[in-house]
Amino acid sequence: MLLKKNIFSCLAFLFLLSVSHAQNNVYLSLSSAGKKRSDIAIDNFTASDRNANSIKYAKLFKDVIENDLILSRYFNIMREASEYIGDNISEKLSYFAKAGSAVLLSASVSSSNEDSISIEITMFDVESGGVIWSEKHKGNVSDYRYIAHEASDEIVKRFIGDTGIARTKIVFVNNCTKHKELYVIDYDGYNIRRLTRDDKINILPRWSPVGDKIIYTSYLYNNPDLFYLDIVKNRRGIISKYQGLNATGVFSPDGGAILLTLSRGNFPNLYLINASGGILQKLTAGSCIDTSPSFAPNGQEIVFISDRFGYPQLYIMNVAGGNVKRLSTNGFCDSPSWSPRGDKIVFTMRRGKSNYDLYIYDLPTAKITRLTDQQGKNENPSWSPDGRFVAFCSNRSGKGEIYIMAIDGSGTRKLTEIPGNSYTPAWSPVLAK
Amino acid sequence: MNKIITLGLAGLFVFAVGCKRQDIKHDATDSIETVAFNDEPSVRGDSEISSDLKIAYFDFDKSDLTGESLEILKENASYLSKKPSLKIVVEGHTDNRGTSEYNLSLGQRRALKVKDYYVNFGIAPNRIATISYGSEKPVIDENNDAAWAKNRRAETKTLNK
Repeated sequence: MLLKKNIFSCLAFLFLLSVSHAQNNVYLSLSSAGKKRSDIAIDNFTASDRNANSIKYAKLFKDVIENDLILSRYFNIMREASEYIGDNISEKLSYFAKAGSAVLLSASVSSSNEDSISIEITMFDVESGGVIWSEKHKGNVSDYRYIAHEASDEIVKRFIGDTGIARTKIVFVNNCTKHKELYVIDYDGYNIRRLTRDDKINILPRWSPVGDKIIYTSYLYNNPDLFYLDIVKNRRGIISKYQGLNATGVFSPDGGAILLTLSRGNFPNLYLINASGGILQKLTAGSCIDTSPSFAPNGQEIVFISDRFGYPQLYIMNVAGGNVKRLSTNGFCDSPSWSPRGDKIVFTMRRGKSNYDLYIYDLPTAKITRLTDQQGKNENPSWSPDGRFVAFCSNRSGKGEIYIMAIDGSGTRKLTEIPGNSYTPAWSPVLAK
Repeated sequence: MNKIITLGLAGLFVFAVGCKRQDIKHDATDSIETVAFNDEPSVRGDSEISSDLKIAYFDFDKSDLTGESLEILKENASYLSKKPSLKIVVEGHTDNRGTSEYNLSLGQRRALKVKDYYVNFGIAPNRIATISYGSEKPVIDENNDAAWAKNRRAETKTLNK
């Protein structure tokens, strides 16, 4: 608690340093608000060169950034901003001061030619009228959403201290073509792109730690092999193709190894392999089911499921396969995922005759919190890189769809409207363009 | 030795970058061989259902062979023992009530139980491959007892190569 306060004080101090005219502790109150959200007023984004292209993108940038700030759940957006007409900045500031906002986000957009666009973000301290910071983001017009997300992440970082998650994507499986194919979509539900066109079964996608690759299991050659897609180089290949299962593959946090379930003519067990499929270590043995591994962010421990005592339960062990410990759950569990901060495990569990719901196991306290409450079958949770949200699959609407919710149980939203059933989302790290 | 060669083959198979940006396409030059292990034949390439081979069914969340399944597998096994050149794949399947990851392993365990039965009957283990589809390939894509019962199965298919 004290540490947290100190961090915020430091942040506030840094802000004050960068602001020549700031006189009060407005940034402190913004960032130390904790669960209480802060008000941020958003001015109309203007086209500084009055170019038609700039006017068009000023509107588009504003929509993306405003939505990012809402989705971050750190801010309340003061919508009066968009109704205010006027060019005088001191008039604007006094307007927003009366409206009760501490900060005003303003931006001007310019385009030197048809293909490039730049946006200069300026954050004002409403009370003092000082500029808190001003920063330019630019790039190709076709990347305008990415440029806007970059600006949003910067805003979150300046106020909260953690990098935002606006530059993330979610990969998932959808069967609208009657076959399970991979799709990728921005975290805000835009820019959906189909990744595979195999007319075969593709399942369980996961990202590499830097987000350049996606690994998944495919029946392309009639055996469940582990594939990779290099989405930067636009390439694909097979990593592991032992006879039988090559499934539930996940990268180690350093990206150097992959943990997966192999059957190899025998009962399915967990193995650690290298990037070319060579076996580094067999981690479990026996005729029980050991699967669904997830690494702790330190790369030293693994959570997985095993039915060694009759039904699938959560277990933790170290990467050498030792020190196996059962977590105290009492239903059928699967899909555990270790949080990016290392203190929580989200998983799906069915108790008795009920449906699968999402739960969070808090490691320091061993307390279990329920996230979803019998709205259909809720499965395959995947953490946002900041550890504040999970993406998951639910059939609550009558078909399988991807949803995102905050881990305090609030703000559930459907990621997108798409035909067919969607399954097994995996949230990317913050991505480079 | 064989393992090393096929592991090498498992490395790069890449495809032209010049394709449409929308889709990542696969390359037909991928090696068709599986890493050989435990004397199982590769199931790469097509398999087909032989009308002489029957499907064994399982109880919910179980991989034990039921009395009914044992009767069916006995028929399959005696057919296979008369055709010693035939290689087969046993595909394990589940209903959709569990989770997808667990079901993949459950299907694999069902396939293995069937393979074990055939081996105990006298079929050479190196004629039998096992794979699992988990709940990914239902016979009847519905949510009711009748559909679930039909989907919890192990299919024995001949490898046509």
